[in-house]
Amino acid sequence: MSGPETPAPAEPGKPGKPGKHGIGRRGFLGYVGSAVAGAAAGTAGGAAWAGDGDSESPAPVGLGTEVAPYGVHQPGVATPMPAVVEVVALDLLPDTDRDALGRLLRVWTGDVEALTTGRATPGDTEPWLAAARADLTITVGLGPGALAAAGLDAPTGFEAVPPMRHDRLQPRWSGGDLVLVVAAREGTTLAHAVRQLVRDAVPFARQRWRQSGFWNGTDADGRPMTGRNLFGQVDGTASPRPGSATFDETVWIREPPWTGATTLVVRRISMDLDTWAELTRDRQEAALGRTLDTGERLSDPGPRAHARLAHPMENAGARIVRKGANYATEDDSGLLFMSFQASVAGQFVPIQRSLDRADSLNTWTTAIGSAEFVVLPGFERGDWLGSGVLGSGTPG
Amino acid sequence: MLNTAARRPWTRTLLPAVALVVALAGLAGCGDEAEPAAAAEPGTVTIEDPWVRATVGSEDPTMTGAFLVVDNNTDEDVTLETASSPVAGMAQLHEMAKVDGEMVMRETDGGIVVRAGGGQLLQPGGYHVMLMKLKQELAPGDEVELTLGFSDGTTLEVTAPVKEFTEEAGHYHSPGTAEHGH
Repeated sequence: MSGPETPAPAEPGKPGKPGKHGIGRRGFLGYVGSAVAGAAAGTAGGAAWAGDGDSESPAPVGLGTEVAPYGVHQPGVATPMPAVVEVVALDLLPDTDRDALGRLLRVWTGDVEALTTGRATPGDTEPWLAAARADLTITVGLGPGALAAAGLDAPTGFEAVPPMRHDRLQPRWSGGDLVLVVAAREGTTLAHAVRQLVRDAVPFARQRWRQSGFWNGTDADGRPMTGRNLFGQVDGTASPRPGSATFDETVWIREPPWTGATTLVVRRISMDLDTWAELTRDRQEAALGRTLDTGERLSDPGPRAHARLAHPMENAGARIVRKGANYATEDDSGLLFMSFQASVAGQFVPIQRSLDRADSLNTWTTAIGSAEFVVLPGFERGDWLGSGVLGSGTPG
Repeated sequence: MLNTAARRPWTRTLLPAVALVVALAGLAGCGDEAEPAAAAEPGTVTIEDPWVRATVGSEDPTMTGAFLVVDNNTDEDVTLETASSPVAGMAQLHEMAKVDGEMVMRETDGGIVVRAGGGQLLQPGGYHVMLMKLKQELAPGDEVELTLGFSDGTTLEVTAPVKEFTEEAGHYHSPGTAEHGH
């Protein structure tokens, strides 16, 4: 049917690694191949990459996983924080109405399915950067502006976080109509994923701010551990564990059409590392209410200790699920703080008010950015993000 | 008709001629528990990752390419034989081929074969659906319906997002072939 130079069809069942005619898609050989190559590149010290089948290739270590994008909830809420994260807020263009928002969410759904399974997004001009098993999660949320543009009623308790006495909020880190929380085991895959998502949003929305963070949730032997913030504090000890009833009660909304959704508050918390470092260890531990070496709660934390004020017992039982990522830039260091809860008004705000009123750590920490979003319910294969909220009718 | 071959609710199988075979064996053998239950439904032909190149600002806004992935999860080879779209007065299946030392784009002779158990990429620089005599401008953010007909009688309808494609215009039209001879 074709001339001899016609591109050959892909090898059946073996899409394999990036090549002239194929991009790596679900080829398990391709996955293993790239992982080995990555390990080799990390240890070869400038030597050429080991070729396929090279018996000198080190065994793959530290493989990541593929986090299936499907489910009742978007999976990135409950997965542990991997090494790197970017949180991107976007603002809708004036013409983006409910229908257009649906088109954007369908495009993003395709992107999420592709990127999280190690495939290039449709139309990607750098398909080789879509790495498999990258611990990649992409979590999508709607801010107040998107709810308004689409004529959606917000879930109960979704409100703007009121100003706090210690806040020094900057517009450049605050607000936004949409949010993407993209997390991965390494930065190249992460940056590529963010670029594809933001690029595909161009007809509908523009990037408002973009915050990067990093986290070490793994000890030297590769075992999970609770990571530390840049004050050296074990951070997240008291956060409900995914899979527990407490976690589920804390984060998930059970109110149609938002069933399976949650809310996210993003706070950029600047931390004064220099003045913190002037404190003696006992004063640091007293301010936190925990020991610094293990993060264990002090037997009798003082009335202004952070761990006491943030505790549910001090907040009428209110809890949040917290995820942190550190940031360090040219002029500032701190914590990119993400709080998940079913109700901003019922959970985040009272805890934040307690802390704002008395937390000893306020001396060294300052919120310089704040934004809140409704994290959309999850989607199943064949469905799209937000279909249950925006209506699942066929477009057009 | 309920549609197990669909990628999304807006992807519809109009005439599924291939019986759905519940044969999950073999799909779970990757040793990764986090892998989705099935990469593609068994016993069916499916379309994934469809997209259409925007025409806004292009040299010739009367034509563009549609790209997608065909997965053939059946035991028989199938041939993608026809394509159509409400936005196009004409649609053809095209390939790139080297003729007298030059890459040219031309209509396939008899369609695009997708082998049993295999997949086929339709992508810039290779096989693609050529949408011609476009009735409207296609802007990034639009959605386009595509209907694809296969040799086994299956007809799949998909909704493809229109995306900007930033590679040099005419990328999938090799030099000297802009007229296509159509």
